[in-house]
Amino acid sequence: MANPGVITAAEAAKRPAGGQMLASIFSKYGIFLIFAVMVVVASLLSPAFLSTINLINVVRQMSVVGLIALGVTGVIVSGGIDLSSGSVVGLSAVVAASLAQSADSSAPFYPGVHLPFIVPFLAACAMGALVGWINGGLVAKTRIPPFIATLGTYTAVRGAAMLYTNGRPISDLTDQYNFVGQGALGSVPVPILILVVMAVVTHILYARTKFGKYVYAIGGNEQAARVSGINTGRFKMLIYIYAGFLAGLAGLVVSARIGSGQPGLGVGYELDAIAAAVIGGTSLSAGGIGTVAGTIVGALIIGVLNNILDLMNVSAYWQQIIKGGIIVGAVILDQLKHRGGK
Amino acid sequence: MKLAKVLVPAIALMAFALSGVPVQAAQKVKIGVSMALFDDVWLTLVRDAMTKWGKAHPDAELTIVDANNDTAKQTGQVENFLAQGMDAIVVLPVDTAATGPITKSVTKAGKPLVYVNRLPGNLPQSVVYCGSNSIEAGIMNMEELGKCMGGKGNLAILVGELSNEAAIKRTEGIKKVCKEKYPNIKIVREQTGNWKREQGKTLMENWLASGQEIDGVASDNDEMALGALQAIKAAGKLGKICVGGTDGSHDALVSMEKGELNNTVFQDPVGQGEKAVNAAYLLAKKESNPDVTDGNKIWIPYQPITKENFKSYMK
Repeated sequence: MANPGVITAAEAAKRPAGGQMLASIFSKYGIFLIFAVMVVVASLLSPAFLSTINLINVVRQMSVVGLIALGVTGVIVSGGIDLSSGSVVGLSAVVAASLAQSADSSAPFYPGVHLPFIVPFLAACAMGALVGWINGGLVAKTRIPPFIATLGTYTAVRGAAMLYTNGRPISDLTDQYNFVGQGALGSVPVPILILVVMAVVTHILYARTKFGKYVYAIGGNEQAARVSGINTGRFKMLIYIYAGFLAGLAGLVVSARIGSGQPGLGVGYELDAIAAAVIGGTSLSAGGIGTVAGTIVGALIIGVLNNILDLMNVSAYWQQIIKGGIIVGAVILDQLKHRGGK
Repeated sequence: MKLAKVLVPAIALMAFALSGVPVQAAQKVKIGVSMALFDDVWLTLVRDAMTKWGKAHPDAELTIVDANNDTAKQTGQVENFLAQGMDAIVVLPVDTAATGPITKSVTKAGKPLVYVNRLPGNLPQSVVYCGSNSIEAGIMNMEELGKCMGGKGNLAILVGELSNEAAIKRTEGIKKVCKEKYPNIKIVREQTGNWKREQGKTLMENWLASGQEIDGVASDNDEMALGALQAIKAAGKLGKICVGGTDGSHDALVSMEKGELNNTVFQDPVGQGEKAVNAAYLLAKKESNPDVTDGNKIWIPYQPITKENFKSYMK
């Protein structure tokens, strides 16, 4: 009842065959079709695009933003926003890296401290969850708008990352740590595996659990959700914590990818993650709408776009203009299809 | 007795206040420093050098603020400095093309102004610039890289943030050397990695995947060069592609020791930071500064770091 996403899906299923069904297919899968068209166009533009190595590159490069976007999707669905995730990447990256330096490091952060990989791993996730907990607390308890609350943590958390390292990078990390960002199991890079696993977990969490149902209900109509007995504050806290945890994990992955924890990591990622969610159909204007599959496709669209512009050697100035145009264009197209379907 | 107990410390305090504090306050030279960004590895070294200079000069009081890479914010910070009665102002500009308002408001207030590290597009004679000549870095980088490439082959250039003077000039230096000294080196790729290791890696991955033959990578800084090296390593092409950077950062030197990075260029953050605040200090005290050449410039020279001499730059 308080879940518009479900209503739309249910209505779509009940619709009769014919033109209307086509329209409803478009409305449901519009963004997937746009993605498919992009892939076809990209492969026509550059013969290198469809090579295995390049396709792996695309997914590996988008995996960090994809991880963040999974959590951001839930936050936006609940009617909130999370601007802090890029800063969380920086903080979790430096904290984790400081606990993961190899024994032969020439610039040890904690001299003589050599910990098993599980410690930095947990530290990264915990840092993220901690910031998420603060975000959730601010939103649920003080009732200040999520935009302002997370804008505050966006600034403060970046400051904390700077403070922790005094602005310096933390390098010479252990092989185990770097494996998370640079290694592969079989022929599948680890960052992609992490993204796939977390996407599946997040999908189940959002679509199959009571927690997910409540998050959608709160986003759809918070008042109604509260009246029907949902502890809205508690579930808001939880969704921000989950988003923070994913951003922390993303910080671990990206620092392992470049073999260095840097406080400046992840600048602007929060906007890429929000863009991925929105391109993928998560609604910024109305809560309660958004899916994990859509967000992954949204992140893939951004990834393909970045990749094909590099492959074609488009000038850096034009890249920015084209990216902006295509992101807005994809969302407009998607919305037109939504309107056509209703 | 009771009265004495209260009075003696009170008088002592007053005497202390009258003797020590005001005199000291009158003598202290207050210098306001606005840094474009705290969140940058190399710029942090500049900042550290300034702080260290401040500790060595007890008659100077340094206030260092972070402009967060925001031009408007930086302009506001400088206005605040003027309102706080700073005796001199040091600015590491966010955008070298947008320093006009800062220069104007400081010169109007009649206070000395020193720009550091990034050369403003418009620099009046009364304003001092302290930094390195960026084009030199590009030239030194490419000259050394060209040797590694055997004077021929395909070159990719990793450019810094496009609005920065350093990115424009270093790239210009790289191209100049290619044109004049190595006519057989062809520039096949040129793209911005925004000074970031992560973006340098991503670009290199994409270039390698595009099938483009690349024999050398000239990077405007070390971070992007190190990112490119990781992509090269992952593609199994280590040793086949020469990579040159700029900055002489710790990680770059470690990479050179491993035989990965071919060369870099030392840009002296300590020299820039120290000499900049020192210039502001001397200007405020109206003393002459022997470092100044060309009327209003303090040049801190770059130094090429090669396979032969890199050990001397490692601490």
